[in-house]
Amino acid sequence: MSETVLIVDDEDGVRRTFHDWLTGLPDVRVFAAGDAEAALLIANEQPIDLAVLDWNLGSGSDGLRLLEDLVDFQPDIVAILVTGFANQATPLDALRMGVRDYLDKNQDLNREAFLAAVRRQLDRIIPLKRQRELNRTLAEFRDAVEKILPLVRGSSALNEPVPLPAAVHSLFRFLLQSTGAADGALVVRHAPADGPEQMAAYGADGRRLDIGAAVFSRSLASCLVSLQEPSVMTDFSPDSLGGMELMPFEQNRSAILAAALPVGGSAQVVLELFDKPAFTDADKRLVSATSDIAAELLRQAMAERQTSRLLFDAVEAALRATDTVSETLNTSPPATPPAPDILAKLKRGLSADTNAVTDADTGLRLIEAVRELALRYGPPAVDHCVRVVENVKKLLDQIQG
Amino acid sequence: MTEPTVFDEIFSRLTPERVLHDPRSTGEGVAVAVIDSGVERAILEKRFADRGQPFQPIDGAVFRPNVPTPLPYDGHQSSPHGTTVADIILTVAPRVTLYSADVFGPQGTCEVETVVAAIRHAIDVWKVKVINLSLGVPEHKLQQAPRRLLLQRTIEEAYFRDVLIFAAAHNDHPTTRSYPAAFAPPLISVDKSLFDDPLRFAYVLREQIEFQAHSRGYLGPFSREPATSWATPHLAGIAARVLSLKPDLKPFEIKTILYWLFKAGAKSA
Repeated sequence: MSETVLIVDDEDGVRRTFHDWLTGLPDVRVFAAGDAEAALLIANEQPIDLAVLDWNLGSGSDGLRLLEDLVDFQPDIVAILVTGFANQATPLDALRMGVRDYLDKNQDLNREAFLAAVRRQLDRIIPLKRQRELNRTLAEFRDAVEKILPLVRGSSALNEPVPLPAAVHSLFRFLLQSTGAADGALVVRHAPADGPEQMAAYGADGRRLDIGAAVFSRSLASCLVSLQEPSVMTDFSPDSLGGMELMPFEQNRSAILAAALPVGGSAQVVLELFDKPAFTDADKRLVSATSDIAAELLRQAMAERQTSRLLFDAVEAALRATDTVSETLNTSPPATPPAPDILAKLKRGLSADTNAVTDADTGLRLIEAVRELALRYGPPAVDHCVRVVENVKKLLDQIQG
Repeated sequence: MTEPTVFDEIFSRLTPERVLHDPRSTGEGVAVAVIDSGVERAILEKRFADRGQPFQPIDGAVFRPNVPTPLPYDGHQSSPHGTTVADIILTVAPRVTLYSADVFGPQGTCEVETVVAAIRHAIDVWKVKVINLSLGVPEHKLQQAPRRLLLQRTIEEAYFRDVLIFAAAHNDHPTTRSYPAAFAPPLISVDKSLFDDPLRFAYVLREQIEFQAHSRGYLGPFSREPATSWATPHLAGIAARVLSLKPDLKPFEIKTILYWLFKAGAKSA
């Protein structure tokens, strides 16, 4: 990335000298103009980072007025004003407009002093310019990602060949018919090396089952993962369970035939069939023979889900990353309270609601508290807040009978 | 009638009564490693206390993929399988010095390299005479020749260092074979069967399987269900009982003795 310097001076000799002095600077493109009109034509063609402007440009024009026009093209432009009448300049106005330095033609304006002044400004411009550029690309990236997100969701919904519930349902339809078991469940546990364990269970119809507060290492399923062969359990006494805990759908069963399915990776899947009066060795062999096919079916279904989830995660992570970077750059809009007119509208809206059972100020206080909570701690904090409100409601309901 | 030879004389003395029911045949002085999913020490301690039996302290280590040094054993299991296995060994040979190598961990899977590290640790550090492997590595995990070779060489190394490995046959699957059981010999692959006495077992030669042992456990879910996982520690415990009478027996000697003990038991039955 190079910086662009524009020299504007109506004296040919001065202009050429400045141009020659600047030509040696690395990564700097130098343009020169003899009057305001030529300068504006150049500014129209490419963004100017630093303008070296003569105070008196002749024909009634001056550098400060030209700078006003240049700002229209490049709002972040910075200028050095070269003048023989520094005492006549209005520093505050000039500073506001982007003039960051003065060079006095009447003093000893030599190459070193000139280059030092230009370098000083470029050193300030470069990091700011990089930051602006980063913000711009970040905004573009964010726009692109936001456009992609619905497409990813849509295409994954279209492409999913074997939805997990359908795969589970097909598997159990076959196994229940073949073995005569009354019901079944599939316990899926995903234990990534770099993340928390996730566990879910699906019923024979493919729907999610309640697993209570189950922990995999204390579940029947965990026994099967290491056992590696289909096994039947008919004794559910505490001695037999040996500290294991049954999940809600495993309770009150007369028999469980269970087998681990070799899906591989960081996932463990255990298939459970329930309540046949007596599971036979033939049932076990059938489950054993089915396990590979079932594992392949589930592997595909889970991989598809995993791929979609990974895509969603990636896209959402990208969006979060843009937020983080923006915050780091201090360019994101600060979390300001809602504008007074919005607050006023909200207040009017609340007060106008005939069903409102609380006054507008209280309602707004609650909204503002939740909004702050969301800003600071994210959606889980709001979820927690909702739960607290629900619990308070339950408590009051109980108290009031 | 042929005159009995010296072998007949020797082997006729090798009876289950004289070997396995010798009061000194308790596993005393024999170090056994359970390479599995860890052992819940407190559960076993309580079982021994309930029976009024002294409990030998259990030591161990936790092995994880990509972690070069074993982690300390905190007395807990990753899943109950290992505890059921350890309980069987301690039921059969209550005085063994038991080591728990947890190779499953919270991930619930065991990798070939982790099993190899645990076997080496059991041989080099714990100096065990018997290793129980009631776990299996599915065939597809050993598709890569170097991995397969690594596991096979480790099993062979154990044999040549006088350590006898018992591995669950896991032979019910119709199409795939389970490793390391399929490397037998030099290890002893154990199939399941049911016997009226947990100290009874059988020699039934089939492809890569020589012995059957009692396959019901005593503790934990699914332990009452016959499984090669439970048969293996029965035979490992029996070997530990044999070794407590003569600790310097070599793997092939133990195998021979087991064979003759079965013959004698079958004859008397």
